[in-house]
Amino acid sequence: MKEFYKNIGDALAMLDGLEQDLNIRHLTPNELKVFYTIIIRAAYNEHGSNITDIVENSGMSRSTVYKTLKKLSTEGIIQLHQSEEDGRESLVVLNS
Amino acid sequence: MKNFLTLSVTSFVFSTVLWVLWHFVDTHVLFLAGKGGFFYLPHAARVLCVVYFGYRAIPALYLGELVGPYVLDPGIYSFSLFIPSLISVMSVPFALTMLNSLGFTLGQTRSSPLNRRNYKHILLITFISAGFNALLVNLYMSRNNLSFPNAITDIEQVYRFFVGDFLGTVFVFIFLAMLLIPVLRQARN
Repeated sequence: MKEFYKNIGDALAMLDGLEQDLNIRHLTPNELKVFYTIIIRAAYNEHGSNITDIVENSGMSRSTVYKTLKKLSTEGIIQLHQSEEDGRESLVVLNS
Repeated sequence: MKNFLTLSVTSFVFSTVLWVLWHFVDTHVLFLAGKGGFFYLPHAARVLCVVYFGYRAIPALYLGELVGPYVLDPGIYSFSLFIPSLISVMSVPFALTMLNSLGFTLGQTRSSPLNRRNYKHILLITFISAGFNALLVNLYMSRNNLSFPNAITDIEQVYRFFVGDFLGTVFVFIFLAMLLIPVLRQARN
């Protein structure tokens, strides 16, 4: 059993490192929801997701999503770029 | 023996839970329905269990791979999964063997070429094992004229397997990191 707990301890140490590097431990449930939606949308569009997509897929109101994106951007977790195709649209990109 | 039983039960439950979660999202969550190939969560169980429990976790993982499609939702695939599932589970040992042969032996200290306490190293193992899984399972399927429902076994499916295994594992890692680490930190304080 000692070996089992040691293995689990190593796995937790790995996850701890990931959590520290992601720097998302202080996010609220709404912020987490938006963050996860951005990750999922990133699988479909490498140039970034537009805010309308995130609003539709997160199931949250536009104003909440805007407020949350602003906070995530201030924290350096995401970046907001203006779309080259449509100047009125902002694209959300995850910071590497 | 007790350790083997504990790690086998853990591996089996972890693999099965991830399969159920993945299958639910793939079939019930509106905007992700039918797109499950792009985030195959159970690959995380293969990687985590083989890396942390060793090769002794393989039988339980193999059983976990088969329980979903044969017991929980029988009949979703029209062909036998015994060999493809075995290839999928073995993709992680293949990746570890390849890295080992290149001099990257798995250890748990900072000086280990492949440190299992470093998530970047675990992501490298995930990346290589996803490649092995994508290539070998699709090679087997194309040689035997097999295909998933509403899909063709082609290079696009190889790409989908590869991306799906990697992204699915990353989602599980992030989810576990956010779920477990704050709880453990709170319990420690």
